[in-house]
Order: sequence, then C-alpha cells, then structure tokens
Amino acid sequence: MTYEGVDFYDIESELTDEEKMVRDMARDWVEAEVVPNIEQACRDGVFPDEWRVALGEMGVLGMALDGYGCAGMSYVAYGLVCQELERGDSGVRSFASVQGSLAMYPIHDFGSEEQKQKYLPKMASGEWVGCFGLTEPDYGSNPGDMITKAVDEGDDYVLNGAKMWITNGTIADVAIVWAKLDGVIRGFIVEKDDPGFSAPEMTGKHSLRASVTSELVFQDCKIPKDRILPHVEGLKGPFSCLNNARYGICWGAVGAAQSCFHSAKEYALSRIQFGNPIAAFQLVQNKLAWMLREITKGQLLALSLGRKKDAGTWTPEQISLAKMNNVDMALEIARMARDIHGANGILDEYPIMRHMANLESVKTYEGTHDIHNLILGRHITGIQSFTREL
Amino acid sequence: MVTIAVLLKQVPDTTARITVSDGRVDETAISTWVTSPYDEYALEVAIQHKEASGASITAITLGPPRADKVLKDAAALGVENLVRVWDDAWESLDSNQVQAALSTILEGVEADWIYCGKQSADRNQGSTGPGVAERLGMACIVEISDWDVTGAQPSFTRATSSGNERLAPTPPIVLTFTKTETELRRPNVRGIMAAKKANIEVVSADIGDAQVQVVAHNPPAQKPEGRKFEGAESVPEVVGLLRDEAKVI
Ligand SMILES: Cc1cc2nc3c(=O)[nH]c(=O)nc-3n(C[C@H](O)[C@H](O)[C@H](O)COP(=O)(O)OP(=O)(O)OC[C@H]3O[C@@H](n4cnc5c(N)ncnc54)[C@H](O)[C@@H]3O)c2cc1C
Repeated sequence: MTYEGVDFYDIESELTDEEKMVRDMARDWVEAEVVPNIEQACRDGVFPDEWRVALGEMGVLGMALDGYGCAGMSYVAYGLVCQELERGDSGVRSFASVQGSLAMYPIHDFGSEEQKQKYLPKMASGEWVGCFGLTEPDYGSNPGDMITKAVDEGDDYVLNGAKMWITNGTIADVAIVWAKLDGVIRGFIVEKDDPGFSAPEMTGKHSLRASVTSELVFQDCKIPKDRILPHVEGLKGPFSCLNNARYGICWGAVGAAQSCFHSAKEYALSRIQFGNPIAAFQLVQNKLAWMLREITKGQLLALSLGRKKDAGTWTPEQISLAKMNNVDMALEIARMARDIHGANGILDEYPIMRHMANLESVKTYEGTHDIHNLILGRHITGIQSFTREL
Repeated sequence: MVTIAVLLKQVPDTTARITVSDGRVDETAISTWVTSPYDEYALEVAIQHKEASGASITAITLGPPRADKVLKDAAALGVENLVRVWDDAWESLDSNQVQAALSTILEGVEADWIYCGKQSADRNQGSTGPGVAERLGMACIVEISDWDVTGAQPSFTRATSSGNERLAPTPPIVLTFTKTETELRRPNVRGIMAAKKANIEVVSADIGDAQVQVVAHNPPAQKPEGRKFEGAESVPEVVGLLRDEAKVI
C-alpha cells in the first residue's frame, strides 16, 4: 500500500510539483528497500552498500548544491527527502546528511575549482563516500578548543591528532577534517589512502546501528598542499556545514515521529483491552492527539525554515530552535508510542524502539539539545553562557 | 528515427478509498492519483526501446489538468514530448470518444510503436488499445508480458494458459502490456529537474457524441458481518461451513 504521510495542515498544497515528486521518489524507495531490511541491518550493525548506490542513483546526495553533478534543487525538496529517509531510519538520513551537508557542501562553498571538479561529481553519484571530522575525544560541544593540528612542511601539510564519533568514517573515501594551522581552524581534505591516516570503526552502539561511526586517527599524516579548503578560516567553516545538516535533521525528525505515530495509531485501533480497542480510551486518544499536534507543528517549522533557507534569510538561531524542537518532540513521540504498544513496543517487529534509540544520538549530534538552548539563551539575553570562570 | 507513443491514463491510487455521492464517484475525495499500473509497464518498455534505438517518445494522456502529473512523471523518466488531450466540456467519455481523441493525436505523432496498458486500473474495459489500432488501421497485440526491444527487430511474448507465443511485429502497430515481474525504474532528482522544464502541449479533438450515459455509480454491497467461533468443539461446524457455504475447501 502506498504510504501516506501525516498532513493535517495540507502542507501538500504548499509544495511545488518537483518537491512532491522528489519526496515521493524517496518515499517509494524507503518503503521498498529500507523498511523491509532495516531491522536486519541494525542487527548486523551495517549500512548496506546497496543503499549508498541507490542514494547516488536517485541523485539525493548533495541535491541542493549547484553544478558538479549536483541537481540544484530547493532546500525544501532536500528537507522532504530527509523526512522520508528518516522515516525509514535515522542512519539512512545521517548518511545523506553527512555526505551532502557536511562533506560535499564545504568543498562546494569553500573549495578550489580543482577540488570541486575532482570530488563533487563522484560524491554526488555515491561512488565516493565522505565524512566530516570535527568532534574529538575531549572536545565535543566546544570544538573551538580542538587539538588536532596541521603543520606546514613546505610541500605538504602534516596532520596529527584524533577525531571521534565520525559518521561514515570507516567507509569514507574522503574526509573533511578540521584542524588548527598556526592556531587557526582550517578545513583539510584527507583521502583514505593518505599515509598516516586510519579510520577504525567504533563498536558497541545501541543507537544508529545501521550507520557507521568511527574514529579518525592522524599520525604524521601527510597530505599535499592543495588539499586545504582555501576559502574559509575559523569555526565559521564547520559551523556553516552544521547549519545545513541541522536543517536536514529538522525534517528527518518529523519522519521518525511519523513512523512512530502511524505504528501507534494502527496498534491502538487493533489492540483490544477491556472489550474495546485501546484507541477508544480517552487517555490513549489524548496521546495520539498530542502526537498529531507536535508532528504538525514540527512540519510547519521545518517548511518555514526551508523556505527561509531558499530565500537566503534564515538565521542560525532559527535553525537551533527547529532542530532542538523537532528532535525533542520526535523522541517524546517515540516514547509515547512505545507506551501505547505496551510490551509489544519493545519488539523489533515495530519500528518504535529503533527510532527511540536512534533519536538519542540525533538529540546529541549536530549540537546537543542544551547547546541549542544556550544559543537561544544568548539570542534572548545577549549574554553567552557557554563558558564561565569557576 | 524510430518514434514511440505511449498512452498513459491517470487513475485513483489502487489503494485509494472510493466514495460515491449522488450516484457518482466523488473524485474530489480521492487524495492520490497515479499512472495506471499497466501503463507503467508500457512506459518501461518504451524507455527500454528508446535506450536501445535512440527513439523519441511522446507520452499522451487524456484527462483534466490534474492528469499533467502522469506526464511529468514520464518526463522525469526521460520522455521528451508530452501531450494532454482535453476539453473542459468533456465529462464522462465513452470508449468510442476516448479512441477518437487519442487516435486524432496519434495520427499527428506518426508513431511507429504505440504502447499502452492492457486495460486501465479504474474502468478495466480493455478497449483503448484495440480500439485505437482499429481506427488507425493497425494491428494490435494485447496482454504482452515479456519483450525484447534491444535488437533491430523487437519481439513480444504473450503468455497464455496453453503456452507462450512470441511475436515479431512490423511497425506501425499498437501493443498493450500486462503487469510483469520487471522492476520498474524510479525517477531520480536530475530527471525530476528536467521534468520541471518540460512543456506539456494541451490539445483538444473532435470526438462526436457519446453513445453511453452513466446512470449511476454504486458502491459494492456491504460485506456481511464476520462470524466468530470459539473452542475446539466448533471445529466440525467451521469445517462444514467452509465446505458447504464458503466453498473454499
Ligand atoms: C552516532 C553519532 C554520530 C556522530 N557523527 C559525528 C560526525 O560525523 N562528525 C563529528 O564531528 N561529530 C559527530 N558526532 C559527535 C557529536 O557531534 C558530539 O557527540 C556532540 O557535539 C556532543 O559532544 P560530546 O558527545 O563530546 O558531549 P559533551 O560536549 O561532552 O556534552 C555532554 C553534556 O554536557 C552538556 N554541555 C556541554 N557543554 C555545555 C555547556 N556549556 N552548558 C550546558 N551544558 C553543556 C551537553 O549538552 C551534554 O548534555 C556524532 C555523535 C554520535 C553519537
């Protein structure tokens, strides 16, 4: 049966034909390929390689960028794709976010012409996978204090340090690595076979199991001089990538929430207790009504943010609010849906626990929930409270 | 150059809930419209044929403005010419009128190969392909389930209960397709961007008067309520009912 998303406020009427077509393309693919196979992928702890190929063939990797094999579609279209992918699994959306927003985008916006020509077409087609190395073992929320270093050694840059929690790291052909050169944060393109570079996979995750998470290790890693991203310096580089990826999460979280809502609705209508479907009880209806309300608000927020992005008028604070809100509501919906499913809710027969566990990562990465609170707090009061003298 | 025409009809999604009000299907209550599934196979063959021969494809639909969607979807898969036949005065056309409209357009296209579904998924009449062929003075092969369009001489296979029949037609000809195991291709973002720029030509045609009037649409009779049996002692009764009443064992 064709999947129909939640659309209580007729968002459909605000989308262009192309946006709807791209959304349906992603929706059909997720329904046919991800939904039937995701539990096995999670059990095995792998991101199936066929999905990389399919995402490339569909052309969704870097789809909002212009030229170099990228489609130049609207950010709303990109958001709708993220929504569909994450309805399947946050790991699939993470793959697309990292590739498009975190690896291709910095090359596209801060790279040299040669770098764009060399990397972007192969990344758009999915032939090459990219990753984004910002977080370090000791520097998560405050990447500005990172210790990974690059040294100018005449013909080469030499990198030393380690990154952690890097999505796609082990399967990446290309890593965008942020490191300090003479104390200033710069972006470097590291290729998988560069000497002194390794990317061991991290194991033991209870969350985002169908996504590869890795360390990146640089031991006197030598890269040619033309691998520095010439057009950006400082935290602006990684932060502008994160803005784009956070935007994708705003939509993605709506997708995960919809998946939980649908499952809860179906279950509530069919599960009989005390002689009635549990959907007939007011307490359960209250939960379903809350879910619909939050999903609808989240959709409107994401759409409004997308239109602002396409018009070039969004602010980082608006992105923070939407990322924080939508992940928060999705996580709460997952928990509520689990409750409605009773004991069945813990089984992998339903998507609930998987989404719930995934969303715990999504709440933390791309700026933790509270870091976004602090961004808004600073916006409201004019006082930054990220750091404090003790 | 080889020219292909493919006839695509927009129908309610096969899982859409159909409601009847005042003796007519309430089209406004149908949320999702899709390309008739059989036509999707016709389109797939057309695209395979184009890939092998460098043919050009014209997709034709008969329908109101919402039917543009099936043409845009076809454009996203690489179809270059899009034509929608319509007249705001048209309401419920009979088979003769549909065939008249489509064959008028087809005469202009001068297609070598005319592909369509064996029937539409809503009306299920199965009259369009053969009827258009008749009007154009061409032969027609119906219910094709396999094909090879890679060579200079395309061939088409019909599966019948008594075996297969493989046919090698000389164009121009009309071919109708049934559903098969073939995986239909998906659009991609680049195709969808190209479809955005695609131009849909809207034309009308002289279709004469209708011979058939719809008196009323009626929903299917309500299914009788299910019956519930409990306990092992009811097994003989259930078996008896399955055999004598439901006649399934
Ligand atoms: C599955 C997964 C994939 C990831 N993928 C990537 C990737 O591809 N690339 C990448 O670079 N990183 C990635 N990350 C890392 C992610 O971005 C970081 O985990 C995140 O930035 C938080 O850093 P941390 O885990 O070190 O937590 P910490 O920064 O140590 O935070 C711990 C807690 O302290 C709170 N906190 C921190 N500072 C403050 C403060 N000033 N005021 C109040 N509260 C504060 C936080 O909100 C949080 O609750 C990934 C993480 C996960 C889980």
